[in-house]
Amino acid sequence: MIPSSQIGGGSLKRRTFLASSAAAAAAGCGRKPAAAPGYRFLTPEEADTLGAWVDTLIPPDEDPGAREAGVVHYIDIQLTRWFRKHQSDYRAALSAIDRWSWSRRGRAFALLPLAEREELLVQMEKGKAPRDLFPDGGRAAFDLVLAHAMQGFYGNPRHGGNRGYASWKMIGVPPMPVRGREHYSAAETFPERS
Amino acid sequence: MPLPKVDAVIIGAGAAGPIVAKELAFVGWRVVLLEKGRWYTPADCRKDDLRNQRNPTLGYPFGPEEEGNPRVIVELNGRERVVKPSEPGYNNNAFCVGGGTLSYGAMAWRFHPNDFRMRSTYASKVPRAFENSTLEDWPIGYEDLEPYYEKAEWEIGVSGDVSGDPFKGPRRRPLPMPPLPPTREHEILEKGARRLGLHPFFIPMLRNSVPYHGRPACMRCRWCVGFACEVDAKNGTQNTVLPMALATGNLELRTECSAKEILVDDHGRATGVAYFDREGRLWEQPARYIVVSCGAIESARLLLNSRSRLFPQGLGNRFDWVGRNLQGHTYTGANGLFEEIVYDDLGPGASIAVCDYVHGNPGLAGGAMLANEFIRLPYQFVSGIRDPDVPRWGRAHKEFVRRAYRRIIPVQGPTQEIPVFESRVTLDPKIRDRFGIPVARLSGYRHPHTIEVSEYMAERAAEWLRASGAVKVWLRRAGRGLSAGQHQAGTCRMGRDPKTSVVDPWCRIHDVDNVYVVDASVHVTNGAYNPVLTIMAIAYRAGDHLAREGRRA
Amino acid sequence: MKAALTALVVGLALLLMIPAASFLYEAGGPDACARCHEMGAAVGEWRHSTHRGVACSACHGDALTTDVRFHLTNAGRVIGHWRGEAGVKARLGPAQVREMLVRCRRCHEQEFASWSQGPHAVAYRSIFLDEKHNSSRHLMDDCLRCHGMHFEGGIRDLVEPLSRRGPWRLRRAELAEEPAIPCMTCHSIHRRGARHEDRRLEAKVPGPRQEKFRPSLAFFDRRSQAHVEAALLPLPAMHDRGRPVRISPDPRQALCYQCHAPLSTREVFSGDDRTPVGVHEGLSCLACHEKHRQTTRASCANCHPRLSNCGLDVEKMDTTFANRSSKHNIHTVKCADCHPKGVPPRRQRALTSAD
Repeated sequence: MIPSSQIGGGSLKRRTFLASSAAAAAAGCGRKPAAAPGYRFLTPEEADTLGAWVDTLIPPDEDPGAREAGVVHYIDIQLTRWFRKHQSDYRAALSAIDRWSWSRRGRAFALLPLAEREELLVQMEKGKAPRDLFPDGGRAAFDLVLAHAMQGFYGNPRHGGNRGYASWKMIGVPPMPVRGREHYSAAETFPERS
Repeated sequence: MPLPKVDAVIIGAGAAGPIVAKELAFVGWRVVLLEKGRWYTPADCRKDDLRNQRNPTLGYPFGPEEEGNPRVIVELNGRERVVKPSEPGYNNNAFCVGGGTLSYGAMAWRFHPNDFRMRSTYASKVPRAFENSTLEDWPIGYEDLEPYYEKAEWEIGVSGDVSGDPFKGPRRRPLPMPPLPPTREHEILEKGARRLGLHPFFIPMLRNSVPYHGRPACMRCRWCVGFACEVDAKNGTQNTVLPMALATGNLELRTECSAKEILVDDHGRATGVAYFDREGRLWEQPARYIVVSCGAIESARLLLNSRSRLFPQGLGNRFDWVGRNLQGHTYTGANGLFEEIVYDDLGPGASIAVCDYVHGNPGLAGGAMLANEFIRLPYQFVSGIRDPDVPRWGRAHKEFVRRAYRRIIPVQGPTQEIPVFESRVTLDPKIRDRFGIPVARLSGYRHPHTIEVSEYMAERAAEWLRASGAVKVWLRRAGRGLSAGQHQAGTCRMGRDPKTSVVDPWCRIHDVDNVYVVDASVHVTNGAYNPVLTIMAIAYRAGDHLAREGRRA
Repeated sequence: MKAALTALVVGLALLLMIPAASFLYEAGGPDACARCHEMGAAVGEWRHSTHRGVACSACHGDALTTDVRFHLTNAGRVIGHWRGEAGVKARLGPAQVREMLVRCRRCHEQEFASWSQGPHAVAYRSIFLDEKHNSSRHLMDDCLRCHGMHFEGGIRDLVEPLSRRGPWRLRRAELAEEPAIPCMTCHSIHRRGARHEDRRLEAKVPGPRQEKFRPSLAFFDRRSQAHVEAALLPLPAMHDRGRPVRISPDPRQALCYQCHAPLSTREVFSGDDRTPVGVHEGLSCLACHEKHRQTTRASCANCHPRLSNCGLDVEKMDTTFANRSSKHNIHTVKCADCHPKGVPPRRQRALTSAD
């Protein structure tokens, strides 16, 4: 039994992260952008960027990658539910990584090849992304998206990710084990007490 | 609004409260049991790996609710954070009928006889464990609890086979149920343990291995620790003693009722409990006896919130001991990667233990029972177990999960913690819960010797895995911050001296002769094992005492 | 007068408001449905499903549906949607699952008729008020895993008292005659798959390849309130006193095994298991059991044209699984049951050459 405090959720340094989102909010206009069709919160550009991001974290190989497994949907759904407090974090981080990609590679992040996306994310993981885009060097945003991507990919499909139990299939765990129950006669066990 | 007076009101229907309720209801007392959470059943087992009591990514299904129940945590660097239940540092246990026992892993350990006499055992041998610590003997011993351990094992139901444990305290009866058949992990680890000259055996569990007391045997699914049991084969207080107590007609269970304070008259006797019901209405329940069973954090908080003219620092807190010595367990261990597949998809997973390192470790005070870990769902695996040489993401990480998921055995153990006076529960001066009651503020740290012992235990776990054939082993170490969580204990220490403890050996508050604290709060030290059976035994003992000694209306 | 007129207008407006939500759903066809994101997944699946030729409204009703509860549910969903309280996905409640029976029947008349004559059409009353069962075994939440899986709530919300004494009654009397294992236990309507148009495609050869693997086959997992498609369900590795038992690879059986399940020991006939051993080892459940009615009548003739290999008339044997002492229990019968001294060499040769 592991005390929950010891289980790694996505620990994130909220303060630094909020600072970056404040910067983005100041840059953007006040109106709420329209969500992409089929999404609740993310705009089409954001969904693309996030899809490329999570597909870098869990790339497709002989098994589906994060995007195909519905991780973007998982995050999108939860951003209007349990992760509501992270809405501005996502908005800021997705716009920042895209601007960074444009300035460094002249292309949207979603259009970069895997190796170049990996390179940018490695910088963020180390906290070495440009400070004008990510006040903490990108570490908080990286950790947040990483934690959510893992949840969406390996968690239960009911929350919108792990479509078709893709990850469970990958590791060889059937979604529903075959489990019967011992039949027994009540008289054999214990008299009722009432 | 005052209600009709009853013989006893018990606050908290967790591991201890329903046991006391049953003992009193069976001798004809009129008892009211207040519980802050709801009453869940196996129908509420949703098998949700992102929303359970061990993984609150999307919240806790069995309480507390995310909003309206904050706590404040003071970190090692002095920074304060207001935390919601699902956030790190909250140190949650469940808030529901049955408390942690609804969804626990259900290891049913008796403490070692020496766990009750840590000072006598180690004072001369390991003096550094006593520097800046409150390490002490219990005022009662293993032999005082032995009959009640037995009662808990038979009445609530324990399976397992401890005959192979040469280190256990003396016992009069065996366990009522045999162990579940061994898993593949069990067989692999058993060979390794024998190779090292250790003494492996089947973990005792509050889980039916055969039909028992009208409920079926475990069907060995993988949704175990953190979940309500789908077939009701896991024995908690909510499906054993509580139905028995309710069947007497003498117990009234009121759920979704949050205690505000214990009311005290001008003569220093408690008169009842003020509580809020689910609609937020304030009620007063007068009673001859009050039993506080809310868990180490919430019991301390309730006593501290019960201020009156005679007890301006809170009930039982004349010498500033309420909320002190907050402790849990320092879990450390190791993960071993094997060539062959070790995962056989059989719950509960945890099956084999050794108690060779519980005491008698060279130069160390205490130790831990070591056992293999419960069965892991994919996200639990990904968030908890990673070879440190594998990156956290990318192709290599995915490949690691794909290959290693069914090839890793984690072994770990709960290192007995050295209690620290400064690790404590206080009331936050600003933050309040949804009823306006000041919330718990947690601060403190782990004693350096606790860390030292836990490092030793991690090495022992690694040694065991290597001897069992693991091709790669890496350690799981502990942090230095405050420890409480599901094994929270120690905040209302049991003792004979009112100046250095809160309750007497019968769990009665020194200052007030009709208020009892019955839960892990009274633990002087928390043993080298999961504490629930000890909590239950103490509850049986206190309930038995109260039923015999107490005066009814 | 004026007040009465106002009341009439307001009343009429309110009356129209109720089906308005339903109208809103269907106004733009499937795309309009999909605009609500909680329905997106369902519509997306439907687009690729066997039923993609069937309009949403054919099963889900439309503005002209006369059931008031239907419109109230829709109105509730629209309100929930605008208030941001919508669920992850829209799912059918127990009442709607019941209504699906009627809707499935419209096109699948024969399957329906067949199912309703079989044991899986059992009603709540027969399952949960059975005196013999209830007086000898405990009613528990886990019963609902395989019976009444669409019921919302636990066993204590369904039956009382939960003792072995009785008399028992359903807390909601209207459930008494409702089927406890409806179509949606084993079928997920929106499941991805090719459309079945040509019924002649179904081969005449009996056994696992008797027909195409229906993509709608999926087991309803009560715990996650979702269907798990049959292809993802495991076939257990069974044992008969230590000996591994051959199992047909027919993936449809995985559905059967969810409820007719062995214990975790995987021993044949443990728990509710009925894996055939002996001469019929390796056959799929569906090689003998008709898929909707579960009857095995005349199925022997699929392989034994007139006589068994032994020259006995199989139609006249007591082959039932229910009679465990029968020498011809079809799930266990072995050559040695009739030939305790061993199979005569002539028969042995005939058997091996026939194989």
